[in-house]
Formats: sequence, C-alpha cells, structure tokens
Amino acid sequence: MIPPVLASGLAYAGAIALMACGITIIYMCTRTFNFAHATMATWGFYITYTCLMLYGGSPYQYFPLSFLFGALLGAICYFGVNRPLLKRKASEITLMMSTMGYDMALLATIQIFCDFLTYRLGLYPRMVTMSAYDVEVAGVSASTLVSVILAVSILTILHFFLTKTKFGIAMRATIENPVLASAIGIDSEKVYLTAWLLGGGLASLGGALASMVITGTPVMGNIIIVTMFAGSILGGLYSIYGSLLGGFVVGLAEYVGTYLLSLALGGWVLGYRMVVPLVIMAVTLLFVPRGLAGLPWEKLFRKIRAYVGGRLKGVGT
Amino acid sequence: MKLKIEPKELWNRFLVLMRSREGIVCLITAIGLSLITLTAAEPLAMFLSILATFSSFFIVTLSLNLETGETGIPQFGRVLAVLTGAFAVGAIPGRIMAWALGLPCGLDYGDDRVNYKVVPRINAVLEANPALSIGFFIFSLLIAALAGAAIGWLTSRPAIRLREAYLGISLLAFGDVFMWIGQNWEPLVGGTTGVFIPDPFRFTGGYRHIVMVSVMVGIAFLLFVFVEMLSRSPFGRTLKMLRDCELAANVYGRDIVKVRTRSLVLGSSIAAVGGGLYVIYVGSCKAATFNRVYWTFWPWAYMMLGGIGSHVGVFFGVMIFTMIRAFIVVKRHALMGVVPFDPIWLDTLLGGIVLILIVLFMPYGLIPEKPKTTLPHDKVEAMLKAVKQRVRGT
Repeated sequence: MIPPVLASGLAYAGAIALMACGITIIYMCTRTFNFAHATMATWGFYITYTCLMLYGGSPYQYFPLSFLFGALLGAICYFGVNRPLLKRKASEITLMMSTMGYDMALLATIQIFCDFLTYRLGLYPRMVTMSAYDVEVAGVSASTLVSVILAVSILTILHFFLTKTKFGIAMRATIENPVLASAIGIDSEKVYLTAWLLGGGLASLGGALASMVITGTPVMGNIIIVTMFAGSILGGLYSIYGSLLGGFVVGLAEYVGTYLLSLALGGWVLGYRMVVPLVIMAVTLLFVPRGLAGLPWEKLFRKIRAYVGGRLKGVGT
Repeated sequence: MKLKIEPKELWNRFLVLMRSREGIVCLITAIGLSLITLTAAEPLAMFLSILATFSSFFIVTLSLNLETGETGIPQFGRVLAVLTGAFAVGAIPGRIMAWALGLPCGLDYGDDRVNYKVVPRINAVLEANPALSIGFFIFSLLIAALAGAAIGWLTSRPAIRLREAYLGISLLAFGDVFMWIGQNWEPLVGGTTGVFIPDPFRFTGGYRHIVMVSVMVGIAFLLFVFVEMLSRSPFGRTLKMLRDCELAANVYGRDIVKVRTRSLVLGSSIAAVGGGLYVIYVGSCKAATFNRVYWTFWPWAYMMLGGIGSHVGVFFGVMIFTMIRAFIVVKRHALMGVVPFDPIWLDTLLGGIVLILIVLFMPYGLIPEKPKTTLPHDKVEAMLKAVKQRVRGT
C-alpha cells in the first residue's frame, strides 16, 4: 500500500528525528553541542544487534535496552566530562571539543567490541543488514510503524513531561534562565543530568532504529551525524518540537527526495545523498536562522483558517 | 652583535632550560624518539616515516592553531582544506602533464584503468628531467595553496556571520560533504579507487625517501617560522584581540569580518599545502583517506596536547602523538597476543582520552601560550637598559 521507498524513508526520518531531538535537548540545557551523538547512536545499534544474535527474537524487543545503554553513555559523559566543565563555566567551543574526545574514545570502544564479537563469538559485526530481521505488519514493514509510533509517542511524552510535571517545568525554567531558576531552588545539576540521560537514550534508540533501514557498520553514526545536525538546526536548535519535525523533514528529504531525483536525473544522484542535509542546513542558517520553530506558525494558521473560511463562505452562498 | 658566552654560563642556561617545562617536554620527546627509532628493525626508515607523518600533520595543526588558537574560530572542519589541497594535487598537475604528453587528460584521467597506465609514463618523463620535476613539485604545492585559499574564502562567506556552535557544525558538515563528493565523482580523484600522483622525486634515485622527507621537514619549518612571525606582527596581534574580546577589536576600528576571512583563507591555504605534501609523499590520493577523525579530530588532539595558541606547543604535541601512534603501529603484532582485539584501536582510544584529560586538567596544554614580544629579546633588553640609563641621567 505504501511504496517501499516511502516506507523506509519514513523509518529513517523517524530515527533522525529522535537523534536530532536528543542533540537539541542536550544543547538547550547544557550549551553543549554533542559530537558524541554519532557513536552513541552506533552503540545503540550494536546493543540491539548483539542481543538479537545472542538471544534471538525480534530486534524491537531490545530497543528499550538500547535506550538504557545510551542513557548510561550520556550519564558517563555528564559526570566524567561535562559537569566539571560546566562548573568551570567553559566556553561553548571547549564543551564541543570535550565531546569530540568522548566521541573518539567511544569509536575506539565500538571497534574493540566488534573485534570481540568477531574473535570470541564468531559473528560478522562490521557489515550488518538488520532489515533481514524485520517483519511485516499489515503489508508495511514494522520499522516504519515502530518509527512513526516512537516519534509520535516521544513527542507526546516529552510534551506532557515538560508542561504537566513539576520537574519538566523546572527544566524549562532552567533552560530559560539558569540563574533565576537556581535562585528559586531548582537543582540545575539534576536538570543537566536528565538532559544527558534523555539525549543519550534518544541517540541510541535512534541509532537502533536507523540500522533497520541502512547498513550497520562501526562508523554508521559518523556517516549520518550531518543529517542529525541538519535536523536539529532546521528545528531551530532551541525547540524540542522543532527538532523532531526538522529531523523528520531532513530525513525524508534525504531518503525519498534523493530517490525521486534519481528517477528524474539517473542513478548517479544516489551517491550524493549527503549533499541534501548540507543544503538544508545552509539554507536554514542563511535565511531562517531560527529554524522551523522561529516561523510565525500561529499567524500562518490564522491566515490559512481565514482563507479556507472565506472559500467555504463563497461555496455556501 | 658578538656572541660572548662562557662555557659555564652556557651550562647554567642549559640547566635553567631543563628545569623549565619546555626543557622537560623536549627531553622526554627526544628520549622517546630515540628509543622508538633505535628499537625499530630499520632505524633510518622508521625515523624518516615518523618525520614525514610529523611534517604533514604539523603543517595542518599549525593552520588549525592559527584559526582556532589565535583567531578563535571553532574550526571543526579542518579536513575540508586538507582534502581540497590533496584533491587539487591529485587532479590538476597530473592532468596538465598528461595533456602536454598527449595522454588522456580529460574526465577519464580519474578512471583507475586509465590512470595506472598514464601516471607511470609521466613518471618516466619526470625521472629523466630533474628541472621539470622540481618545477612540477613547486607547481603542485602552489596549486594546493591556491585551492585551499579559494575553499577558505568560500566557507568564510556563510560562516563568518554565525555564532560559535553553528559555525563549528557548518564547517564540519562542509568537510564531510566534500569528502563524499570526492568519493562519488570518479573523474575528480578516482572515487573509491583513487588516483596515483606523479612522483617528482624519482630523479634522486635511491635517495628518494631521504630527499622527500627533508623537503617536507624544510617546508614545515619554513611555515612554522612564517606563522610564528605572523603572530608577532600587527596582524597576528589583531587576531588575538579578536579572540580575546571582539568588542574591543570593534572599538579599535578593526573590521571583524575582514580579519576573520583573512585568517580562514590563510589557514586553509596552509592546511591545503599540508594535504598536498601528504599525497605526494604517499604517492596516491584517495578520498576516503580524508575523513573527519583523521584530519580534524586528531589535529585538535595534537593542538590541545601541545597548548592551544602556542606554536611551539603544537610542535611537541604533534611530535609526541606521532611517536606514540607510530609505536602502536610498529608493535601491533607483538601486542596482538596481549590484548584480545586489534591494537590499532588503542590509538583512537588514547587520542580521545588524552583530549578529555587535557581539557579537564590541563586546559592550556603542555606548553601554554605566552605573551608574544614583537621585538627580539635582546633588543627589548637593550631598550630597557637605555631607558634606565636615561632615568638615572635625569
């Protein structure tokens, strides 16, 4: 019923949306632009893969485990690297650079883990096609359904968390004004830790999901990180909803847009997939620096409503 | 000026130097280098290969230090300029030679089935003609520098207006995407198979390795002197003013956009020379070699270890890391039995951990940046003496 390209495109876009959301949460709360997101995503994929190989079953049942492992990686990064630097009021560049070091170290641990899988368990972890373990539900591959369901449910959960719970509101206060928030007794360290837990978890979950549609390799995350960044920037870098939407748009544009272009121009276009997120990023930064979140949505809705209403009236008379 | 130093005075100065940070770092580096070279199976070849890797990375890290350490631009896309230089050297000079010799030089030069036949014939011509070889080498580097300057200017256009995080990500994305283009567009540098680079040092016969490495070290040294002089010049001081306080730079009438653009163009041009030298040394140019971890993250680690903003620090940072990495590569087989994985990953792990430790505990690196004196030390002393005399005279 859905063309297969669109189906995998939706799955990919959902994964990118989750990862972009993680980047945005961490950046909003701690001013840290997390380069280690790439390897956190790859770790999420390897956790799912290893469990699937060892215990069998469906890859989806290990997604919660991937999320927890990503959260653990985020917590390690927060306590080991980020917290001391935040206490020292380090500059944004220093914060970015420290996550770069963490990224390198994590990349090495992934490679070591792959060697372990190869030599000790006799697996072939360096080139994995996870879609072989996918199932079909009602004519659509499960990855598409899971991806869309996950993106929507995470959006809903985050929305309720940030607007209805006490801690979520405290978190928003810290994002708005850290000094004032701590003056009224909000523990900013708790907020930062939550950001890293959520961000890391979403990165790993997104990586596990992305591996259902693209080839899983030890550098998988490093290849798609530009797409994550583009999604986060398109979303405005200061809006969680924007980042989910931005990630979805960029992922879909990259996956489906390139495919449509290749139909028109020929197969050579497919090799230049990575140019799409860069172009989106550059256009956003040049023309809409505040991203999708900065667009006057309410005005737009009002205009559309007025327009539609006008047309309807015209029909009625 | 006459040099009049007693042996004892010299010894004392030596002791003072040895007690300073620079002295200790220098001593450790020297001991490490000699240990690694002497324990290798072929000491000379080992020494030369360390020096070759060192020079290309030293040039690249110097340029990074110029842009990040001195100007304060978060250059997370260093690989872009490096691969531009490498691609320029891979794509242009060889084609010109092929055209002059009447060989295929159009889009099919990048095809590996054509390329492996064309380049040996160019090499034969170069080998017979030393003057042409030298001209070819200098021309290649000039092309690399020009291409680097061009890409530096191009990236500076959108980049100059952005704030820290945005600027860093955009630069990183530029570098990644350009690598993808090189890997997919075969006519440029042969796509995934790469192209061979005509060898301009073939005429030296058996001394090729030594001559090539000496030239690389020489160029690295010249660029080091150039960057060091630059940072003492009014332009260099403007860069630091920009880094330390943009507002002050504005107040004193400095055009921030212009200064940043110049720094990016100059830095990219130097980095491109580094990339060009590297591919000439290796003899082939393959897009996949120029990935982010190798040519952006590692130079950052080198710079942070040495000391951000300090060119002497960069020298030691690159040297120490190059030695350790060479050591891991050499001892790979011996270590294979000790650890249950390929020991080559230890080097990435080490790089990441050192980077984190340096940021946390030693943010100014092994040899922190010092305020630069714009005049030579003895001239400053003489001036101080003259001032003192005049004060005493009144």
